[in-house]
Amino acid sequence: MVEILASQVVSGLATGCVYALVALGFVLIFKATDVVNFAQGEFVMASGFISYTLLIWYGLPYWLVFFVTILLSGVMGVVLERVVVRPIMSAPIFSIVIATIGASTVMRSAAGIVYGYDVLPLPTIFSKDPIRLGILNFTIMDVGVIGCSLAIMLALYLFFKWTKTGMAMRATAQSQTAAQLMGVSVKQIFSLTWAISAGIGGIAGVLIAPIIYLDPNLGIIGVKAFAGAILGGFGSIPGAIVGGMLLGVLENLSGYFFNAGIKQVSTYILLILVLIVRPSGLFGAVAMKKV
Amino acid sequence: MKRFHRSYAVLAAFIALICASRPPAAWAAEVGVTDKEIIVGAGVDLTGAVANWGVNIKAGMEAVFNRVNEAGGVHGRKIKLITYDHVYQPPKAVANAKRLVERDKVFIMMGHLGTPTTKAVKEYLEEKQVPNIFPATLASLWTTSGKWHVGDLATYADQTWLIIDYLVKERQFTKIASFYQDDEYGLDGHLAGKARLKHYGLDYIAEVDYKRADIDFSSQAAKLKESGAEAVILQAVYREPPRLAEQCHAVGYEPLFIGPSPIVVEKTIELGGRHVEGMIGVEVYPLPTDPGPFLDQYRADMQKYFPNLALDTTNVYGYQKAALFVEALQRTGRDLTRDALLNAIAGIKDWDPGWGLKYSYGGDDRRVMSRSARLVMVKDGKWARMGEWMELAEGGRR
Repeated sequence: MVEILASQVVSGLATGCVYALVALGFVLIFKATDVVNFAQGEFVMASGFISYTLLIWYGLPYWLVFFVTILLSGVMGVVLERVVVRPIMSAPIFSIVIATIGASTVMRSAAGIVYGYDVLPLPTIFSKDPIRLGILNFTIMDVGVIGCSLAIMLALYLFFKWTKTGMAMRATAQSQTAAQLMGVSVKQIFSLTWAISAGIGGIAGVLIAPIIYLDPNLGIIGVKAFAGAILGGFGSIPGAIVGGMLLGVLENLSGYFFNAGIKQVSTYILLILVLIVRPSGLFGAVAMKKV
Repeated sequence: MKRFHRSYAVLAAFIALICASRPPAAWAAEVGVTDKEIIVGAGVDLTGAVANWGVNIKAGMEAVFNRVNEAGGVHGRKIKLITYDHVYQPPKAVANAKRLVERDKVFIMMGHLGTPTTKAVKEYLEEKQVPNIFPATLASLWTTSGKWHVGDLATYADQTWLIIDYLVKERQFTKIASFYQDDEYGLDGHLAGKARLKHYGLDYIAEVDYKRADIDFSSQAAKLKESGAEAVILQAVYREPPRLAEQCHAVGYEPLFIGPSPIVVEKTIELGGRHVEGMIGVEVYPLPTDPGPFLDQYRADMQKYFPNLALDTTNVYGYQKAALFVEALQRTGRDLTRDALLNAIAGIKDWDPGWGLKYSYGGDDRRVMSRSARLVMVKDGKWARMGEWMELAEGGRR
């Protein structure tokens, strides 16, 4: 029983890491621009298809595909920002959010037109063979996904803390005016934020597509990740990570202890419970205004 | 005073115009049938969770209709097929059915895909008296729902009886688990299996469900492993078996996987790779690679009209439905009404389309055309025959 539980937690952490990455994408854009990008899930889906194209149609080696996909995802993010968001930047936030929803629909349909709506298998460099370590049963795939995700999160942390651009992004998130006064090009920072968010979505896509098969409706993962971000406190980066991981583990455990029906709603039940107790999420800061 | 009169005149002219533009009187004695055409409707999944089935069923049906139309149609009428996409979602299926019946005025609903989706439109079709012919769902429901529904092949309940008999009598398994889709589709086979196990004094050692369109089964795999089941019956489609097999193998659990016809698809092997090697399925119509005049015609038609689609059990399924429908149309004759068609179908006995299986309208109150089934297994990455056709003597869940 403990053995089964342990393996459930490990595979839950693997899916949770992917949710965490996507949630991070949401939070980064939100912190910098106050916009919730509902096309984030579609970035994941698109990167899955891009890696499929490079791997299967062009036969490129796996590691090259990994990096090229992330690069192309980043470019996609910038394109979306320039074409969809920037022209309507002065509109109410709600309008921009609706525009991102529109973009997500367009992306989904485009994928359907090009690749069809059938489900496609994506090969992976991480083997799905089982390994036993004491009481733990897991696969190299699980370890690979968790490892990559943690590496990315660490890289982002270092980027934000120690590089000039990272600091500029943090500054812009805190106050656009002050950052501009300090010589930061806010427009460039916005583009960079979208590029990084989309790139993270890209990594998530490359990691998860081999696990759950590829099809244009893959973007639905964005909804779960969004819930994870809210759980952790929307606007908090560590919150997004913890929220996503918690969600992944919880889903698996509720599926094991209860049934498939409960598993589906466990995400939202947890969300409601947490928000009742802590309305700003686990790590969210309660906004205080000085009068 | 003058303006008053003028606006009345305009209003009167408007009303007259609307009255005059009534649609012309019915051109034939039956809805969806004209002198030159028969309009047939189908609601299928083209972009959702079972899109592989939907796209191919549509192609299979169109291949038959194209060939028949090119040869002049049936009794001088060409067959026109109108399909709408319901994405395997019941509410959309209902909306599409209304469109087909009320706006497109179809003669019959043909090959409607999906058990939950077809169940959603069942009452509406009955109310409008539109025959639901050979729906692309083998739930036993269609065989016992009365005049307006006609099934074609052995139901999921029948197939699960066959599976249980095979597992208990030939493999001598006593620990059998059921992995089923938690809706009308999965429950049909699942409950029939439970009843059949009772006949042997057994019960499922584990009953694990999943929600339609779910993609992760690690908890189900854990539960199945814990139960120690020797065989797992999969009341699923083509996405779930490979994923479940993969996740079971990942926790070091390797039972025999066996399931009814929806899993017998190329896609299952494509997605599952070596994890589905040894998986057993039930098929209720031949494999696309089987010999025979009917299948030769099928291969020729698919090559001519859909050269880019791979030959697969999914398109044979649509093809045989359409072929059966055309046979029924031939027998009905030129005087085509819904009742006449239903009577003609009821009169079909021992019709061999050319593959050694006989279609006979089923007696014992079950409105279905064939009760034959056969076991197949994934061997070296292909579905291969395991034995001969079996006629199911007793029925499954009624």
